[in-house]
Amino acid sequence: MAAQVEPVSASAADLGTGSFWWALVKSPSGAIGLVIVAVLVIAAIGAPWIAPFDPLRMAAGPRLQPPTLTHWFGTDDFGRDLFSRIVHGARLTLMIGTIAVGISLTAGLLLGLIAGYAAGWTERVLMRLVDVLFSFTEIVIALACLAILGVGLTNAMIAIGIASIPFYARITHSVVLVERSKPYFEAAVAGGAGHLRLIFRHLLPNVVPTLIVVGTLGISTAVLAAAGLSFLGLGAQPPQPEWGFMLSSSRDLISRAPWMMFFPGIAIAVTVLGFNLLGDGIREVLDPRQRQR
Amino acid sequence: MLRFIAQRLFAAAITIWIATIAVTLLIHLVPGDPVQIMYATFQSTPEQIEATRTALGLDQPIHIQYFMYLGRLLEGDLGRTIVGNQPVLDVLLARFPATLLLTTASLAIAVIVGMSLGFFAALHRGTALDVGAMLIAIVGVSMPHFWLGLILLFFFALQLGWFPVAGSDLRSLILPALTLGLANAAVLARLTRSAMIDIFDQDFVRTAHAKGLPRTLVLYRHALRAGLVPIVALLGFQFAYLMGGAIVVENVFAWNGVGRLAIEAVFARDYPLIQGFILFFATIVVCVSVIIDVAYAFLDPRIRYG
Repeated sequence: MAAQVEPVSASAADLGTGSFWWALVKSPSGAIGLVIVAVLVIAAIGAPWIAPFDPLRMAAGPRLQPPTLTHWFGTDDFGRDLFSRIVHGARLTLMIGTIAVGISLTAGLLLGLIAGYAAGWTERVLMRLVDVLFSFTEIVIALACLAILGVGLTNAMIAIGIASIPFYARITHSVVLVERSKPYFEAAVAGGAGHLRLIFRHLLPNVVPTLIVVGTLGISTAVLAAAGLSFLGLGAQPPQPEWGFMLSSSRDLISRAPWMMFFPGIAIAVTVLGFNLLGDGIREVLDPRQRQR
Repeated sequence: MLRFIAQRLFAAAITIWIATIAVTLLIHLVPGDPVQIMYATFQSTPEQIEATRTALGLDQPIHIQYFMYLGRLLEGDLGRTIVGNQPVLDVLLARFPATLLLTTASLAIAVIVGMSLGFFAALHRGTALDVGAMLIAIVGVSMPHFWLGLILLFFFALQLGWFPVAGSDLRSLILPALTLGLANAAVLARLTRSAMIDIFDQDFVRTAHAKGLPRTLVLYRHALRAGLVPIVALLGFQFAYLMGGAIVVENVFAWNGVGRLAIEAVFARDYPLIQGFILFFATIVVCVSVIIDVAYAFLDPRIRYG
């Protein structure tokens, strides 16, 4: 995960306008990222129509066949069509990324908002706890969750989601710290706004732009982590067409069927690259200071 | 300075203390009976199951269990593994040197490659060289390290036959260390570039140029030294990240470190070993981050005299 993410200074109002998308398309990283993510979404939605074969059908072709005109990415040791498996894998990957980030973003946002808003002891205890969890590192938290829940793709998604909560809590907290010292917030407090109004009307909208950037970058981290867990055998189970799992089953066949290793790896790397570029692009648009870098 | 060190040590102690609570709770969060689950994969007698339950203290109330665990911990006793019935601490310590060797070698590769690439990009800011270097870095950040490992394995071990596919000698260390090191070099390259760009724009660098010092002297003596400070601060984070990455890379190359042990433990549901691993890992990461923070304080006078 990115070591440092600075809060984004744009207000939420800037996001609603058409000029946001235009600016995103004009930035090179944003445009490339957007194209990659769009292709992924299309592949995920249209998988049954795009994929020429059933991803689970054995002997769709001869076993371990190198790429040909019928089997673009070749076939695996069960004779399954690799191209079809990778297209269907996009579904799993996008699902894992969004659900894992959804879990960590929601919980982290709540923790960060509460800590930053409450201040005093609540803040100190909550953030101390977040620091402690953070120092355990994400993979160890994920392993602990899997030890509790047992292995499997759903549990791996939950484990990755829980493991990143400290990261999102920290980011949210850092933005809230800045916002709560600004004059508009002090004015709202002085004006007698209630707790809920202060949190949801004043703080939340200012946290959103930063979280959009961090969440987009976070999808790439979650995709990498899930592929890693599946590679280790802790996530997706056979015969699921999950990319990380496909890579691990290619390991023993590397010398005989290197294509089994190349294509799933490229799929993961391109997906991660796509979300990284999109996240960078959104940040550039929302925070023009970054552009000079 | 002493106050700073004392503060860091206190925070580290709190972290490790919370880790002991977390690992005690871990076994209670398991849905169902953890002892039954642990013995699910191999033959066991009811007496054996009861003996394990008593040994783990699971027949006691939870706060008593915690104090029993803490008491044994202070004597250096992390319990016994379910698979093989060996002392957990001995098993972890036997495997740790391999992990330490791998992470240190990877950190060295990451620092050398990453910082050179970042420094080079900053030096040629805005040119095609900069864009190229950063393109390499972003591809590096996006590449799963287990995939990079398989590719290196394919080319250098299988096709060229330069290195063994797996093993425990120094020659077998090169591919896993490269895999883990290069993946982290990409992150360091991006950080170094932005740190150096900030430094190049500062007054003292301009002054050094203006008073006619040779360009290399300004770059390597003045700018690089100042640029190192924020990067050293992130090395602790990098080390923790490498330790986490080692868990995956050790499994790609069958490198016999604690990471491989941890995955075996999760599969076997060997809870005493999992608990021991988490505590061990957290302690190492926390200790390294204290050492790096103190080193950083020595480098940065603002903290030393603060």
